[in-house]
Amino acid sequence: MIVTIVALACVTFATRYLFLAKNLPFTIGPRFQRLLSFSAPCVLTAIWVPIVFMPNGELVTELNNPYLLGALAAIFLAFKFKNLYLTTFGSLIVFYLFF
Amino acid sequence: MKVAIKKGLLDMLPLNLAVLPWGLLCGSLAIQNGFTALEAQLMSVLVFAGSAQLVAVELMAKEASLLTLMVTTFIISARHLLYGLAIRNKMVDKPLRWRGPIAFFLTDELFAFSHHHRAYQGKLRLVYALVAGGSFYLAWNVWTFFGIVAGQFLPDLTNLGLDFAIAAIFIALVVPGVSNLPVLCACLVSGISILYFKTIQFEFGLVASALLGMSTGYVLQAKEDKS
Repeated sequence: MIVTIVALACVTFATRYLFLAKNLPFTIGPRFQRLLSFSAPCVLTAIWVPIVFMPNGELVTELNNPYLLGALAAIFLAFKFKNLYLTTFGSLIVFYLFF
Repeated sequence: MKVAIKKGLLDMLPLNLAVLPWGLLCGSLAIQNGFTALEAQLMSVLVFAGSAQLVAVELMAKEASLLTLMVTTFIISARHLLYGLAIRNKMVDKPLRWRGPIAFFLTDELFAFSHHHRAYQGKLRLVYALVAGGSFYLAWNVWTFFGIVAGQFLPDLTNLGLDFAIAAIFIALVVPGVSNLPVLCACLVSGISILYFKTIQFEFGLVASALLGMSTGYVLQAKEDKS
């Protein structure tokens, strides 16, 4: 069992370390870097959107749902105040009001 | 230095708390599936991968082959390749004593704080990343430990809506960066395509939707630059 766990650890570490390895012989040019500059907003969006729109594994159909209303509040607060804590706690309050 | 440490801890704190139910679940699920306490803890100490851990535990309980386990873990972890690529230029010239730990801590959560154009530049920003990533690692392992020792006495907390907290934190991190049309369209394309990929249960959906969004942003940006 421990051997299996170590093998899995190698897989997860390899995916994280591979492109940080010095002896990997390639450089990222300015065009590729520009493409990659969109990676964070895109990945994070691809993580939060299913939580909000598919909370039970299926696409939500009614608008009166805590996940949608909470997310709307979060988007508004994040846009207006650009503050992590304010956005998180403010939208959590909205979420639990309808939960 | 103190400021960097404090900011790293404070920035990651909401996520450290929000993942509690899943940390507990990783611990308790492993015990339920016949892992010893040591093995259950080692999953979080060594594999340290949330969703990949949960899937691996269930597969191991079903006595799946090592190859199946490794391929499945790779598919779930493939998005980290993208994170490594995205920060390669910032990190590759750093000594191994920084690169090694930061690579180990490079979860979705740490990557969420890596977007600043000067991220990882200079010792203070490296300390910041290490503290933020390290605190998440510590929290994940503490929650796993609680799940191991008390999982059978605790109710399932994953249905208390804390998944919304994670979504809210990611919204808080994405929205301020949406400063022009290309980024907005990139996010919209990623968001819409991930919903489609989820409905057809495409395993590389997260990576695919990110790549679609990134390409959209790139093309629109190039068009804007031309005109």
